[in-house]
Amino acid sequence: MSEGQHSGGPDAVGARAAAVSVVSSTRPSGWFRSQTSRRLAFGYLLLAPAVLYVLLLVGAPFLFSIYLALSDANVGDPVASFVGLENFRAALESDVFYIALRNSILFTVVAAIFKGLLGTTLAFLLLQPFRGKKLIRGLVVIPFTLPITISVLSWKWMYDSQFSVINWFLSRLGLIGSYGSPDWPIWLGEPYLALSACIIVNVWRTFPFSAIVLLAGFTSVPNEILDAARVDGTSFFQRFRYVVVPMIAPILLIGFLFDTVFTLSDLSIVYLLTQGGPANATKILPVLAYQIGIQAGALGRGAAIALFLFPLLLPLMILMLRNLKRRED
Amino acid sequence: MSDPQPVQTDHASVSRRRFLKIAGGGVAGSSLLTMLEARQAPAQIRGTTLRILQWSHFIPAYDAWYDKFAKEWGDKNGVKVRVDHIPHLEIPARMAAEFAAGSGHDIIYNGSSILTRLYYKNLVDLSDVADAAGKKYGGWIPSARTLVEVEGRFYGLPLFYILLPMLYRKDLFDANNLKAPDTWELARVAARTLKPKGHPTGIQLSQCADANLNWRSLFFSFGGQEADASGENILIDSKELREALRFSKALFDEGMTAEVFSWDDASDNRFLASGVGCWIHDAISAYRTTEDTNPPVFKNTVIALEPQGPGGKRVSVAAPNVWMVWKFSKNQQAAKEFLAHLIDNDIEGMNQSRGYNMPYLNDRYQKPMPVIGTDPKMQILQDFPKIVAFYGHPGPSTTPIQEVVNTFVFPDIFTKVARGESIDAAVKWGVGEYRRIYAKHKRP
Repeated sequence: MSEGQHSGGPDAVGARAAAVSVVSSTRPSGWFRSQTSRRLAFGYLLLAPAVLYVLLLVGAPFLFSIYLALSDANVGDPVASFVGLENFRAALESDVFYIALRNSILFTVVAAIFKGLLGTTLAFLLLQPFRGKKLIRGLVVIPFTLPITISVLSWKWMYDSQFSVINWFLSRLGLIGSYGSPDWPIWLGEPYLALSACIIVNVWRTFPFSAIVLLAGFTSVPNEILDAARVDGTSFFQRFRYVVVPMIAPILLIGFLFDTVFTLSDLSIVYLLTQGGPANATKILPVLAYQIGIQAGALGRGAAIALFLFPLLLPLMILMLRNLKRRED
Repeated sequence: MSDPQPVQTDHASVSRRRFLKIAGGGVAGSSLLTMLEARQAPAQIRGTTLRILQWSHFIPAYDAWYDKFAKEWGDKNGVKVRVDHIPHLEIPARMAAEFAAGSGHDIIYNGSSILTRLYYKNLVDLSDVADAAGKKYGGWIPSARTLVEVEGRFYGLPLFYILLPMLYRKDLFDANNLKAPDTWELARVAARTLKPKGHPTGIQLSQCADANLNWRSLFFSFGGQEADASGENILIDSKELREALRFSKALFDEGMTAEVFSWDDASDNRFLASGVGCWIHDAISAYRTTEDTNPPVFKNTVIALEPQGPGGKRVSVAAPNVWMVWKFSKNQQAAKEFLAHLIDNDIEGMNQSRGYNMPYLNDRYQKPMPVIGTDPKMQILQDFPKIVAFYGHPGPSTTPIQEVVNTFVFPDIFTKVARGESIDAAVKWGVGEYRRIYAKHKRP
């Protein structure tokens, strides 16, 4: 066999070279060559739907609301012109805005405290072994699953100035007088009582959610650790404070974050119970934004009022997410 | 006197396209007017679909009738009609969404919040339908135009309004030698007398539609005005407002309880029907509720004309209802045809609503009117068209007024005074809010 034959000859060499160049041209180029980078790309591909979802359904509306807030857009005119910070200035000029801002913060903070207390208590109760536990666990989430309109309208009846079942009950117990007496509470008529009434409905509706989140956290704490803490002589509250809470902190923070966002942006309860009255005593930012932006048609000013929620939430979110990250590290 | 000169026309400037455009428009316009006159729908609308967005009426029988009426009209004219009912408070949001999307219903209803001026550039000019109806039925009552007229054109069709008269317990008044509440002062005396006997009165001092309507009735009857005829200038800062506030404070202290701060639009209905209230200022739904739930109280409940203010003036602020057609509607002709047919039958609508729907056309007030003309206690309602007014009186229903209404500035002035704030402070706050809102709408 000649060398040329052995080695395949010059033509064969050319063909091999061509084959090699073909193979090399189909190979991933640059950073995509390594297995790690391909895995990374695959990871991004898997993430893409979620990122797209966030960009399209959260990012785009958010940017659009900034655009609206910086324009004189109204619902009846498709052409809007840039007005700078005029809408924010207009909001800051209004007394009602400050009342709404104060009420929004008060509403969220007070509701969060009560939801935390009641949710924790309920979660501990649901951890105990008792008969019909599954049924009770199912029943407690009913307020959260009921359509909000139906539940709020039921509360509206319970708060009725004349036919309130709460007042009737209190009156029967002898704690208040009869209808028409000075101590007969007008739930939705007295400023602080009306705001409290709205907070009560929010707490009633969402504390089961807090309880379920906490319950999920509690059940994830290994019994061995709790037993070890018991052996060390810790009390119930010490175990809760120094063992359970640090272990379930990520769940608590995420739950708290969700709840804060939901509460601060909740329009329905106040709108259906009082529309923000009496004399704006229960007005919160989402209701004011809706009344001005949609009902009165001033989209730009409505968007500006709604955007005031953002700087309220942003520091809270940064703090919490930073805390979460630190714990992960 | 000089002879009339022939009009000079520039023949050269009339192109073939322009000629066809003018001639075509003339033919289409005249055929529509002829059809409206003859009430015959054109063949072009056959096979089309008409979508109507309607509120859920307080009288459910009216909705049942309306749906059937629309379907029958559709069947007769070969048009598929779809009627959607939603609560009236949701209409502004739906309207905004449909406008933004450029699609949705063909006919859209507005109740209480009349958004004609906000959307008129995007609404079909309904002047032909309105003019034909006005010509046929003796013209529109003056306040009708304030709701829908922009630059001399009708961008909506007023169909009915809802009155809020005085409803009082004649048995209680008679037993205490009280005169009928023909003036606000007599109403106050009655409340002052009857509250200690367990029968207070009540007008909403909360954020609801009735609060917006009732306190304006009182203010306008006291001689006050909200905005001038142009709708551009605010007139509320007046001695009449201070007088009305002084009166309302006394009325609240002497004749009401704190529950009015929590009331919604239906609370006063229940208050009267329960037998507690001595009088209320409300729509006749309260009368109907009492009829259905408490016949003995109903027997003694009387409807009265709007009480006079100190100067003898009576102004009754009513809740308006109008229909509009979107410019993006692909079926404008059918929409106009349907609305013309609807207004021809507004009297039947009045029947079906048990006298709740009051017409805007003068000839409809020939006595006896349906339902209210045959019920001796309701006959007084036939005298209301001359004194009916709407938000912004005597001015039109402008965009800033709608914002004032939707943010409850006006009733809040009364609420602040009832809660003990000084009249000057409440007026200062209220006028400030009005000025702020008006200024924002005036900004270039």
